[in-house]
Amino acid sequence: MTFPSDENVIIGLDRADDAGVYRISDDLALIQTVDFFTPIVDDPYWFGQIAAANALSDVYAMGGTPKTAMNLVAFPVKTMDLSILRQIIQGGVDKLEEAEVVLIGGHSIDDKEIKYGLSVTGFIHPERVLAKKNLQPGDCLVLTKPLGTGIVNTAIKAAMSSEQLTQKVTRLMAMLNRDAARIMADFDISACTDVTGFGLIGHLAEMVKGSGCSAKVDSGQVPVIPEAEEFAAMGLIPAGAYKNREFSEQMITFAETVPRTLQDLLFDPQTSGGLMISVSDVQCDDLISALKEGGIADAARIGDVVDSQEEVISVI
Amino acid sequence: MREIDARGLACPAPVLQTKAALQEESPNGVRVVVDNAASQQNVQRFLESQGFQTVLEQVESDYVVIGNCESMSSARPHPATESHGDAKKIMVMCASDRLGSGDDVLGLKLMVNFLRTLKEMGDELWRLVFVNNGVKLTIEGSYVLEDLKAYESAGIKILVCGTCLDHFSILEKKRAGETTNMLDIVTAMQLADKVINI
Repeated sequence: MTFPSDENVIIGLDRADDAGVYRISDDLALIQTVDFFTPIVDDPYWFGQIAAANALSDVYAMGGTPKTAMNLVAFPVKTMDLSILRQIIQGGVDKLEEAEVVLIGGHSIDDKEIKYGLSVTGFIHPERVLAKKNLQPGDCLVLTKPLGTGIVNTAIKAAMSSEQLTQKVTRLMAMLNRDAARIMADFDISACTDVTGFGLIGHLAEMVKGSGCSAKVDSGQVPVIPEAEEFAAMGLIPAGAYKNREFSEQMITFAETVPRTLQDLLFDPQTSGGLMISVSDVQCDDLISALKEGGIADAARIGDVVDSQEEVISVI
Repeated sequence: MREIDARGLACPAPVLQTKAALQEESPNGVRVVVDNAASQQNVQRFLESQGFQTVLEQVESDYVVIGNCESMSSARPHPATESHGDAKKIMVMCASDRLGSGDDVLGLKLMVNFLRTLKEMGDELWRLVFVNNGVKLTIEGSYVLEDLKAYESAGIKILVCGTCLDHFSILEKKRAGETTNMLDIVTAMQLADKVINI
């Protein structure tokens, strides 16, 4: 199947990335992305917040600044109270306001199942686009949010999560990647992506394939939600984690000392996860300090990039 | 053998159904049938966390997990009661990150040495519990992190007091052991053959 394109496409379908990027002039390019899903949490307002943070994240992951957005809504108008929809949209709108993004329209349809998300437009200088596939040997890998939201959401469904943990994870998912993106703009970043449905390993695999490099992950350094390990041991793992494992299995090796629960976390599909940044080794410690000072307490160096045509991921 | 049919149920219902069955009856054997590989894996993990040995089978389009628990487990299926064989169960509780008082530098050196030497207990080392300042031995940057992880890989359960981690605001820095509560700690003390307090 062929798709329409022209020479101004900087990032498009042949180099699939977090968002599409189109050159407008020598110093301006447009970033376009869209994201929507079914409810992640029970509270409609927080669902709106998480959906918005999730949609905006792809623009930050490209190194850009989001500016305008449009709502995408599917809602059972005949059978559900409109006040619920109002709360969802309020959550989304409040998150846009926090991100200084304007809402300029939207579209809704009647649907048995609730869905919400946004189409987002942002801007970036054409020379500063951060694609996924540009790992450089010797880089180190930095992650800005802890893993485990998929597993904890499963535990929430099983009514096994404390109120406190549920709140903490809800806020984690609703947290914008904007501050992380702003801070990383001052450093030499080779590549960047955000960690979402494919889990850390899946998104790292996307960065590795076609890069001419391999990645080493130190599982002990990966930030995780502590309770998620216990939930994983009890089998509260979303089906997506197993799919993610199957998909990437060929290119991953685990050292024997990596506990199964930690492996589960590395494949756990994230909702609105953090940024995974590939930065030059000499700047790594400074980047992490800057992120921590900027309020991104969980920022951690999780591994390294090595020169290797094999393009594999080894986890120790 | 208690049969549980969890086909047609979406995750995490199969695990919840299995959990409820264990709670009601404390069976020694269970046979859980699900309709997809992910649920089969989850039920297997759950049963193993409750002390069962498991076997997986596939019968046409059904995925089966058979669990067997030799020892008579206590009425509560949680916390996990893994079989420890005939070996004595020794629990070591560290209420500080230093061994002894008087000199902190010496105290840390002694504690590191102590925790590393504990492996000489062999099979009899059963639980390592950290409370109060002791929890600081389980966070990132701790000199004994690799040793603690090695103990966990060898099957020794490490329990880290959650209230203490919260108190020091280091919950998210924990890198070894499971976060636990006072009930688990007291239960471990009761089940242990010997409790050593440091």
